[in-house]
Amino acid sequence: MTRHLLLICLLVFTGASIIVIGVISGVYKDFILNSLSDNGTVISRTNSPDSLVGGHVPGYPISDTSGTIIDPIDQVVDSRDSVVDPEKYLREFNYGRVSTLPNGSTLREFTLVASDQLVKEVSPGVSYNVWTFNGTVPGPTIRATEGDIVRINFINNGSLPHSLHTHGIHPAEMDGVFEMISPGGKFTYEFVAEPFGVFPYHCHMTPLEEHIAHGLYGVYIVDPKTPRPPADEMVMVMNGYDTDFDTENNFYTVNGIPYYYMHHPIQIEKDKPVRIYLVNMLEFDPLNNFHLHANMFNYYPSGTSLQPDELTDIVGLNQAERGIMEFQYKFPGKYMFHAHKTEFAEKGWMGTFFVNDKNTTRNSSPTDNSSFYDTLNNSFVTGNPETSGARM
Amino acid sequence: MGGNHPTKKTPLILAFVPLVVLAGMIIFLLSPYGQSLINTGIPLPQVTIEKVEFHDNQILAYIRNTGPLEIVVSQADVNDRIQSAAIEPDSKIPRLAEAKVMIPFPWIPGTPYEIGITTSDGTRFSKSVEAAALAPSPDANQALLFTSLGVYVGVIPVMIGLMWYPYIRRISIGKYSFFLSLTAGLLVFLGIDALLEVNEIVNQNLAAVFNGQALSIVVTISSFIVLLYTSERLTQRAIEKAVLNKNHSSASSSSIEELGKSEKSSTERQEGEIYNKSAKVSSSTQEVQIQLQRYQQLLKPLTISMMIAIGIGLHNFGEGLAIGAAMLLGEVALSTFLIVGFTLHNTTEGLAIVAPIAKIERSRRMMIRRLVTMGLIAGVPTIAGTWIGGFLYSPMAAVIFLSVGAGAIFQVVYSLVSWISHHQKSGPSSSLSGHVIAGFITGLLIMYLTGLLV
Repeated sequence: MTRHLLLICLLVFTGASIIVIGVISGVYKDFILNSLSDNGTVISRTNSPDSLVGGHVPGYPISDTSGTIIDPIDQVVDSRDSVVDPEKYLREFNYGRVSTLPNGSTLREFTLVASDQLVKEVSPGVSYNVWTFNGTVPGPTIRATEGDIVRINFINNGSLPHSLHTHGIHPAEMDGVFEMISPGGKFTYEFVAEPFGVFPYHCHMTPLEEHIAHGLYGVYIVDPKTPRPPADEMVMVMNGYDTDFDTENNFYTVNGIPYYYMHHPIQIEKDKPVRIYLVNMLEFDPLNNFHLHANMFNYYPSGTSLQPDELTDIVGLNQAERGIMEFQYKFPGKYMFHAHKTEFAEKGWMGTFFVNDKNTTRNSSPTDNSSFYDTLNNSFVTGNPETSGARM
Repeated sequence: MGGNHPTKKTPLILAFVPLVVLAGMIIFLLSPYGQSLINTGIPLPQVTIEKVEFHDNQILAYIRNTGPLEIVVSQADVNDRIQSAAIEPDSKIPRLAEAKVMIPFPWIPGTPYEIGITTSDGTRFSKSVEAAALAPSPDANQALLFTSLGVYVGVIPVMIGLMWYPYIRRISIGKYSFFLSLTAGLLVFLGIDALLEVNEIVNQNLAAVFNGQALSIVVTISSFIVLLYTSERLTQRAIEKAVLNKNHSSASSSSIEELGKSEKSSTERQEGEIYNKSAKVSSSTQEVQIQLQRYQQLLKPLTISMMIAIGIGLHNFGEGLAIGAAMLLGEVALSTFLIVGFTLHNTTEGLAIVAPIAKIERSRRMMIRRLVTMGLIAGVPTIAGTWIGGFLYSPMAAVIFLSVGAGAIFQVVYSLVSWISHHQKSGPSSSLSGHVIAGFITGLLIMYLTGLLV
């Protein structure tokens, strides 16, 4: 009798515990489900929108940590080891050693040293074996005027054969494709700068992708004989780094360092024209683009015309495609520019302009600028007359 | 004794000689000369992201340097998009050391994410998470949830399984053999299942440098041997105690010990043999031997049951770890279906405990108490497992515990099989019967089919 009683007790105990636990876990399941579905609102509750606005950083700011902050987006790094100083590169144009030839034409002599041994910082804390012209990626910007004789003394200081291939018009033997310059070798490229425009130069040895992706490229600008109107001129090269050799870029940049102009905004002046020589040297990805915020720019494809092609805020560029952008900012403040291919943007290809309002302190500038405002306006006519009207 | 002293000391010094030479060799290899001699090839960095947790507006990645060199972590990303992050204790991680990467990120529950780490040489390592879920925080609510989950999948099913006791008690010897071998089948499946699970964890979460598969084998075999030894000791102790309690005048303590030894060595032998052997080694009377035989009959199945309970307990602890970890890692959603699956699966574990003791003569009141105790031993570890797995998951701990569980289960299978063969021989037929074969296969199949639900 007692045996049966005990068995029944065991049954009852088990049954009761199933019910009790069922109720408890039912309650807690509700609780858990609620807390899971609440999660979206939890975010906005704990991090009020205010705390997310204010930084110029697209990522989310790091709070206190006892460890190391790894933040290439707004971390200002010591650039001694960096592959290029984007601040310096931005407005640095090399006109070469200038001399006048007996026939009256101007000779501009440049020296480009190719190397493939350097290991440089391409993003904060990330080192990569870059192949360089004159030690930087991108290489120095070469600039001449249409009709000048350009002489480039090319020295291969690397361990692999390299060459210099310049876009533009020149004889076959100056094209840098079939003449392989061996390690330690030298070659002098000489040609007449034509036509005016903006061009890339790069190494043309095979495997081509490898030589270009590692950084052997730069910009070559040919000015028209009648100079373009004065402006705050800059050069921007869009590129990428495949640091783990999987034929996909790990970093995208403008002027060599990801996010550099995010923490070092490019200082420009309100109402002062800006001219950007833009070149796309990206490997692996077929398309790149440039988008300017809160503004429109006149775009001159390849820079081979003095008439802009369109007034826009975005331009898409294929491999080695390039052009000239001209714009000015109407309002002071900080403005972003970036690849509208957001993947590239979020891997480093973004930056900012800081528009300063200096009109109050400068008396001479309005008169100085008036002449090229007029010229600019002439060019705006083909683009958008209303905009040019508003601009004045 | 004085003359022995130096001879004792000398071999010890001699034992150190190879070690000293070895140390010299290592110092040489690590010296610049040694390194230039053998360093061909370029050592590559290796990082393992062991665990990714989703917290309030923050993603935590626990990473380990599993490569041959010290590394520096330079960047973190979410879905291959660079994010600001912090790393603790430092971005420099020595070999095999661990670090925590904190990425502020407003993640969306249920969305898959890939978390990436880039080292200073530009190599990226990543880990995918199927669906982000808020990491359980070790508070009372979460602990209660884990507890109820553990009770559901561990304790209750085992208890339900124990309710087969009255049935199995009444069935014929043939059917009984069927259930015993069914139990063996269930357990073999559980053991294999645990090893497969270990393999999965090793492949997904454990760094290759730890050689998880080998670790698992080492732990499984060690656990098997240690538990085998323990169970033999337990039986022996129990017999010694029982015999001592009877305090027979003719049975001296030394002879009892010998009896114990003979019992230990005769686990796979027939009863008659034990009889003969114990008669040979001891000078005890016929009465003691009858007594011994009774204890043997009683204690052997009890020990087997207890070892099964312990083995299943260890297994359920590992299972709890896996459940808790799956919740922590966002790999599983709490669903009724899952709980039903585990319940069905684990009910059979209760049967495994019941089967060996169903046929022994004992007062039922004591038996029920014993059954409940063993049910708790088998089931409660699930709760502890879910806590540990859910709050402090480590793939290494999971591998070790699951392997211990596997070893325990194989030990139980071993005892059970010897018990079955013993049982068979005392029965009408001495060969492997159809009942045994059918039972074993049914056991495997039941586990496989109920396992489909989990």
